Amino acid sequence: MEGEREYRRIAVFGGVYSNYLALEATLEDARRRDVEAIFCLGDMGAFGPHPDRVFPPLRQAGVLAIQGNYDDSLGAGKEDCGCGYTDPRDNFFARISYEYTFKNTSAENKAWLRTLPKHQRIRLGEHRVLMCHGSPRMLNEFLWESTTPNGLLEKFMRDYQAEVILCTHTGIKWHRALAGGRHLVNVGAIGRPENDGMTNVWCAILTADAGLQVEFVPVHYDHEALAREMEREGLPSEFVETVRTGWWTTCLEVLPAKERARGKY
Amino acid sequence: MSVPVAPFSHLSTLWVQVTGTWCNLQCVHCINSSGPTDPWLKSLDTETVKRHVMEAEALGVKEIYFTGGEPFLHQDILELLACSLRVAPSTVLTNGTRITEKTADALAALAGESLYSLEIRVSVDDIDPEANDRIRGKGAFDKAIRAIRLLHARGLLPILTATEILQGDGPEGNGMYQRFRDLLASVGVTKPRVKIIPVFPAGRLAQEGGARLTREMLQGFDFSLLQCTETRAVADGGVYSCPILAGLKEARLSEGSLEESFTPCRLYHPACVTCYQTGMTCRNF
Repeated sequence: MEGEREYRRIAVFGGVYSNYLALEATLEDARRRDVEAIFCLGDMGAFGPHPDRVFPPLRQAGVLAIQGNYDDSLGAGKEDCGCGYTDPRDNFFARISYEYTFKNTSAENKAWLRTLPKHQRIRLGEHRVLMCHGSPRMLNEFLWESTTPNGLLEKFMRDYQAEVILCTHTGIKWHRALAGGRHLVNVGAIGRPENDGMTNVWCAILTADAGLQVEFVPVHYDHEALAREMEREGLPSEFVETVRTGWWTTCLEVLPAKERARGKY
Repeated sequence: MSVPVAPFSHLSTLWVQVTGTWCNLQCVHCINSSGPTDPWLKSLDTETVKRHVMEAEALGVKEIYFTGGEPFLHQDILELLACSLRVAPSTVLTNGTRITEKTADALAALAGESLYSLEIRVSVDDIDPEANDRIRGKGAFDKAIRAIRLLHARGLLPILTATEILQGDGPEGNGMYQRFRDLLASVGVTKPRVKIIPVFPAGRLAQEGGARLTREMLQGFDFSLLQCTETRAVADGGVYSCPILAGLKEARLSEGSLEESFTPCRLYHPACVTCYQTGMTCRNF
């Protein structure tokens, strides 16, 4: 399509979840990697402490952001995060997280979240790239590696006229190359480790060369400092445990069998 | 009074009523009156199921579910699951009674070979064996728990699926999830997974003259909360609006083509009221 900006090399991340320390580390890392632009696929708040602290670094670095379901809920003043859990244990923790984040996000930042688009289109070399939060058709649709069929990806790429789709929302990164130089990249999240027993988070670097190069970069940050701040803010010990251990402790019901099997709980 | 309709959005979920209403149990709350004798809805033959799976793949299906009746009574169920898992993540809803060590081994092999998740949902309706068996039949509890253990031992992480028939409280709380999680922990399951579904006024619990949805009730309603906007069920006789109503003439949308069933569906049944009120989905999540 006409009017889309073209890039050669970009950094993309998602799921900041109020983890401003991981955000600062991610931005610093991205600057060192000679990227032309940095994109964020949404969900600035949730889970972590002091939600307002992620907005200045995002703005100062000129991050091009789109809206996640959390941003949509916070911006519109909705009653919940729109995560759609059914298990009352998961809802219990989701509610704590949302109420804390809602209370501690300024009106100015909520207004900014409302201005974010739900999609972003660019070109990476020859590739038409569509960025979304959950899936191209739904803000809060989970695209897990083990539950996203190739047939569905083919349909998305046909319907939305893109060779590359970038998403987040699940919190676990994955990449699948399809025939014809097409790609789905779930960039994972920088706000929470990805349930593998490691405390680092992940960002994606995409480079248009002969084809498209997709590199996942581990980002290490002062997770102990974040854990202590979460404790000081009275956030649930279950959340803090995840930051310190790299294992998810809540909201496990949405994990499909293969992804659940890899975690501790 | 005209019947309200739900628009069709996209095909996310394909349900396959693979054994029709043929089951080796006869639960008192069964949504389609399945049982061992004279099933009113016939099983699907293997080639028909494969054809539907292939058509669903071309239409961008996201998940495929096998139900019945009892799917493990189908002679080719493993072959069908292998076919389905080549296309999309696949789930089987079972009472667990037919899952032997050999079957569990075969399922583990299928899951291991597939890029996509294989989910096995095993039905249990109470943590108390006697209470459960009054609903599901003598010995059903022990056999279901045995199946859960066999699957868990092979890393398959089965999902215990319960209805609210004996619990009297909704998915919003009051301990039902925790009671079943505790039950699973007590039999050695380390990653307990539980799915709770409401009881439907359908099948053996159908009531004459039950409440129906009206156009007035649906004014301003978010139709995306109804699973029939993104679900279709194939069963003997054609393609139907959802798995609860599969096989019922009034819910039939096409004689066999999935794509032709992508039309608005009539919300004519008292079970539609349950979906409307609870926002429930038959999917795993």
